Amino acid sequence: MSEIRNINAQRWLDAFSEPHAAIYTFSHCMALADLNGDNDYKLIVADLGTGTMNIKLKVYKGTSLFTESTLIDVPTGVVTFHMDVSEPRIPAVAVASGPNIYIYKNMRPYFKFSLPTLEVNALERDLWLQMRDKCMEVDTFFELIQNLRQEIGFTHLTPRSQQLLLLEHEKWKSFVETHVTTPLKKQTVITSITTLNKNMAEEDAVACLVVGTENGGIYVLDPEAFTVLESLSLSGCSSSNNTVPVHLVATGLFDVEYRILATCRDGTICLLRRGFQEAKVLVQLSTQVVAMVVILENNNIVTALMDRTIQCFTRKGKKHWEIKSPKNVTTMGVVPLHHLSLTLLAVAMTGGTVQLYEGRQLVDVVTVPDTVSALRFGHFGQEENTLILITVGGSLYVKILKRTAHFTPQNDCIGLVPAQQIKMAIPKKTKLFVEHTMRERENAIAMHQTFQHDLFRLRLNTARACVRALESCNNPISTSTVDPLKMTAQVLGLGPKFKLYLTLENMSVSSTSKDLAISFHCDDKIYSVEKPFIYIPVLAPGLTYQFETGVECVSELGISDQIRIFIVKLDQSEPLLAVMVAMPACDTLTNV
Amino acid sequence: MGIWDKLTRLLGLKKREVNVLVVGLNNSGKSTVINHFKSEEERSTEIVATVGFNVEKFRNKNVGFTAFDMSGQGRYRDLWEHYYKECQGIIFVVDSSDRLRLVVVRDELDLLLQHPDVTGRRIPILFFANKMDIREALSSVKIAAALGLERILDKPWHICASNALTGEGLQEGVEWLTQQIRELVSNK
Repeated sequence: MSEIRNINAQRWLDAFSEPHAAIYTFSHCMALADLNGDNDYKLIVADLGTGTMNIKLKVYKGTSLFTESTLIDVPTGVVTFHMDVSEPRIPAVAVASGPNIYIYKNMRPYFKFSLPTLEVNALERDLWLQMRDKCMEVDTFFELIQNLRQEIGFTHLTPRSQQLLLLEHEKWKSFVETHVTTPLKKQTVITSITTLNKNMAEEDAVACLVVGTENGGIYVLDPEAFTVLESLSLSGCSSSNNTVPVHLVATGLFDVEYRILATCRDGTICLLRRGFQEAKVLVQLSTQVVAMVVILENNNIVTALMDRTIQCFTRKGKKHWEIKSPKNVTTMGVVPLHHLSLTLLAVAMTGGTVQLYEGRQLVDVVTVPDTVSALRFGHFGQEENTLILITVGGSLYVKILKRTAHFTPQNDCIGLVPAQQIKMAIPKKTKLFVEHTMRERENAIAMHQTFQHDLFRLRLNTARACVRALESCNNPISTSTVDPLKMTAQVLGLGPKFKLYLTLENMSVSSTSKDLAISFHCDDKIYSVEKPFIYIPVLAPGLTYQFETGVECVSELGISDQIRIFIVKLDQSEPLLAVMVAMPACDTLTNV
Repeated sequence: MGIWDKLTRLLGLKKREVNVLVVGLNNSGKSTVINHFKSEEERSTEIVATVGFNVEKFRNKNVGFTAFDMSGQGRYRDLWEHYYKECQGIIFVVDSSDRLRLVVVRDELDLLLQHPDVTGRRIPILFFANKMDIREALSSVKIAAALGLERILDKPWHICASNALTGEGLQEGVEWLTQQIRELVSNK
């Protein structure tokens, strides 16, 4: 048993680590594919280099660098896809960068696709044309462009105008002179790229490219002719104008039924389906999304947010669960384990931990020395279950899942507490229960009416009792207009002899109360009152009067009772007010 | 055992049958190694990935070998342990050019050595550092170090670089294995 535990303690084998690989990239720019059709899967990484220098497309075969080719611009995504059905099945590599997609076959440049150009604002074009014909000064031209910016927004200007607006005053003239002759063009850039199988569900079936652009557009491209099959805009579906798709996930088949999920920079998750005229907002998140993945088994959408939460939504956009991550999430990836029929979620966090979740349960943690910026799980080399991690410092780590590894939820994990998993012993439904339920269902209205009726009766009775209490002056404050009085009573002593102090106050503003008396009522078998009747000659308004009497407990049982104190007017039959005094239990020991 | 039996056995006259288990990761060349030992007419020209296992018979130095050529694919590796009990020798084939999966090889070897049917027994283990012709292949010494073979103290083991396509190094290895099994049986 201990042996098995030892094996499970370390589920991942450190196959390869290269701290000085100097690869700077993100999960989007990593792909695993059988590039030569020899069942030896390669790792394709678009290295961002410094952002301006050393931008390269690298291919790793096992532990060594296989090929390397220079890229012109910073890549935003790398995907592999099958363009046709020819044998051997060699996939093409698509690298999205700027407004172009570069297609590589056999690691040689094969085709370049450029996004369709956008329509330039008419006024902007006129302005540049006038400038070409030298109809106005540079300063006025700048002012007019500035006005146009206020009118239509910075993002809707052409890159040339945008660049001009950012320049300092002395550079305007030279900038305009160098660029005015070339025709004005407006092009957007690709922000994200993914693939969508065309008409077959197999892994090596022909797939379309799906690209998201900076102006909120989504294009589906034909894999052979590279024509735009479908183009949709996200900008109309949300109130904010920042619906730029940053993560794209496409599932289904383009020719049959497909779903494209796009998370945008403003925190919306948009859904596009076959036949949709415009995108539908599925979820509006409170903060920006760091990473999004779709668990294929149940189509759940899992997102990692900037506020350190990982949220899961159903395919219809209903929130399924939410967990707090201990640190900031840097990237996520799916870990499908077919041999265990499991799909795990790998979440990379700052500091170099990668947590693996099954649903919301933490099942494993992998650590590397540095924060992971890019991760991918899949077939690498000859091995099917490989986890590839690239850190922010450019190190490359390859981990292989052990054949004997099993994933069972860790006890000290966040998620369900054990008590929630206990099944409650619910007795079987008896015939009586069923009949009862049926009766309740049939006579629901009548039962409710009866209940309401009884409730009102209860309320009425309460109100009546209250009124009766008020009428019988059974309260310590007399509200009668003639003699408004207030009385408090205090019991001192441990027993059997007590002292009863009464405080009486005339609350009226001016009139004095006369001919009052205090009378005590108690069980004479228990208590004997020293002065059962106290005559009060006069009560001046605003003053408090103190009266006292001794009370002795005469019972030998040591029980306590109540004493009622009444204030009476000498010629009236009803008392003005009454106070109930609960006497304390008499301490029989002191009696002896 | 009669004195005659002993004599013939010592002289190697009597035919002896032994079972050997051929294991290793997928694509390491197990079937190709076995293919080489078969007689010319039985050899297959094309080797495909083994599913489950194959049983092959060949002879070396008057010893009849029954080789259980196990599949090396991850999902079939569970089958290996069922044959540990009956075998008198193990041939472990390693792809010396696959540096990435050396850890997997080591892990599988550890599982094999820790198995109750293997631990207490003096089973000779022959390692083939196969695919030595490939440029990035590691030497047999490096493979032995990477697999930590020096830890195996209770079993005779031997590693030799091989090229199963041409047959280089295979004969040397099998001769060692024959010798070991012979010693083991006569010591009984």
